[in-house]
Amino acid sequence: MKIVEVLEAGLVTTIQDLGRPGYQGDGVPVSGAVDTMAHRMANILVGNDKEAATLEFCMLGPKLKFACKTFIAVTGGASQPLIDGKPIFLNKVYSVKSGSVLSFKPMTSDRYGYIAVANGGFLIKPLLNSRATTVRLKLGGFKGRCVREGDHLPIAECFRMPSFQYREFSHDKKSESEKNSEIRFIKGPQWDLFTSEAQMQFCRSFFTISQQADRMGYRLDGEKMSVPESNMLSEGTVLGNIQITRDGRPIVLLADRQTTGGYPVIATIIAADLSKFVQLSSRQQIHFQPVSLDKASSALVAQNSELKKFKLFLETKRYQYPIGPIRKAAQKLEILLDGNG
Amino acid sequence: MECDYHFVPVGEQSLNIVFPEVIDAEENRLIHTLARVLSNTDVGIVATIPAYHTLTVNFDFLRTNFTSLTNEIEALIKSHPLLKDEEKKHIIELPVCYDEEFGPDLKSVLEYGKITFEDLVKLHTKDPYLIYMMGFMPGFAYMGSVSDKIAMSRLKNPRAKVPAGSVAVAGKQTGMYPIEAPGGWRLLGRTPVKLYDPRHPKPRYNAGDYIKFRAISKNDYYYIQKLDLKGKYQLKELF
Repeated sequence: MKIVEVLEAGLVTTIQDLGRPGYQGDGVPVSGAVDTMAHRMANILVGNDKEAATLEFCMLGPKLKFACKTFIAVTGGASQPLIDGKPIFLNKVYSVKSGSVLSFKPMTSDRYGYIAVANGGFLIKPLLNSRATTVRLKLGGFKGRCVREGDHLPIAECFRMPSFQYREFSHDKKSESEKNSEIRFIKGPQWDLFTSEAQMQFCRSFFTISQQADRMGYRLDGEKMSVPESNMLSEGTVLGNIQITRDGRPIVLLADRQTTGGYPVIATIIAADLSKFVQLSSRQQIHFQPVSLDKASSALVAQNSELKKFKLFLETKRYQYPIGPIRKAAQKLEILLDGNG
Repeated sequence: MECDYHFVPVGEQSLNIVFPEVIDAEENRLIHTLARVLSNTDVGIVATIPAYHTLTVNFDFLRTNFTSLTNEIEALIKSHPLLKDEEKKHIIELPVCYDEEFGPDLKSVLEYGKITFEDLVKLHTKDPYLIYMMGFMPGFAYMGSVSDKIAMSRLKNPRAKVPAGSVAVAGKQTGMYPIEAPGGWRLLGRTPVKLYDPRHPKPRYNAGDYIKFRAISKNDYYYIQKLDLKGKYQLKELF
């Protein structure tokens, strides 16, 4: 087992994967990556299985020193990564050698970034079938906490990356520059508890993400919503639920959410728009737009097949000429020349 | 089984099975039975979250969708035998030290119910409580229902820190805080048993089980705590 040494922690840097969805009935939150699309893309880029863990950070990435040769990719927010001081692109695989340092400048926009490492990602012991960290409960991840300066994160060495030069994903990021952002939703289980005026207000108003935004959920600022008179009994929560609190403010429930909640849920953000939503800055105006369940489902299927297509593309490139020994030899030669072989 | 329910979509990967909105032990046990039955099927269900009158079902959108899953659940409910006779109750005994140090709200609850300390202990430990739902944090059991005499509503201003193990009431509900957390429930005592361990986060009891409190002395409290920390204290199951 090799390691990555943490030279600087960055902000809220945690080990995450797709979380532990199977224990919500016991009150154990799902957790996992806030932006699951960016996390999955990072894993696909470096050729990992979808279960592999990445390093998630918020606004400012960590400074990491690699103790072996491997391949990495950074995805998610506009995090300005550098390898040994040289800027690198997001959504693209780079090779690092023993002693290489990955560092970041603070994000210019967006919120969450992801670092994936080839050959299985961060190899800490899974707990309840997941490596995700829930800091509030000291649960999972690296010692149940955010990573700190001096931590040694276990990874595996990696010498070869098939179809290396194709491992780049061009991402058309329109949303960053847009002042207004459309986020689609389906009606929530308590939609009917709200008056038709409140329903209309929800669809017409503009909201922004407030300062109270973390892995549990984002509180939104905007015109105060009128709240249903009747109390409700607590029920299970779902990713993307928009609760309206007693003071009329919406909260969008995210990865670290409590498993049950007692505020009425007016809407649920569709899964295909969550990745966009969680990366919005507090300056951007959010407009919620209703869609049918069918539309929401097909949007999710479409998003998923896009990832699949890219994965398949990388797999087919692997078998294009010239293949096999030549490239293997070239990569081995490179290691020898590096002097780290 | 026969019951009154309907389906509500919550997202493209989640739905609620909604029963009449009441706190009713019979209805709630049916929800837990249904959760167990659904967990043992192979129709693309990822997780279930039982609550007072709802069962939230999360599913894999690559394997199923709202329409086909609700059809399958409906068929399952129709074909399933009545649960009343079939279900065995799991009753777990939990030691609690009722003491002013551990239960800073004891005094106000005694005044509220116009009862003595002995009455309160008797009332709170008399019957097993059904765990209607788990939520808030791992191992936080929402249980009911307590006697009206101790059913004091929660604090107007919640405490910033409630110590782990605190046993409390809020209206007709009672429960334990597995981890130190902010909270507004009225604290009556504390259990020496570790209710949450990040190394083994699955709780020592499940929704649908019953908890029966047993009053213990302060000496016993520290004795059991020591045993439990060494992993040598087993929760007793009553029948």
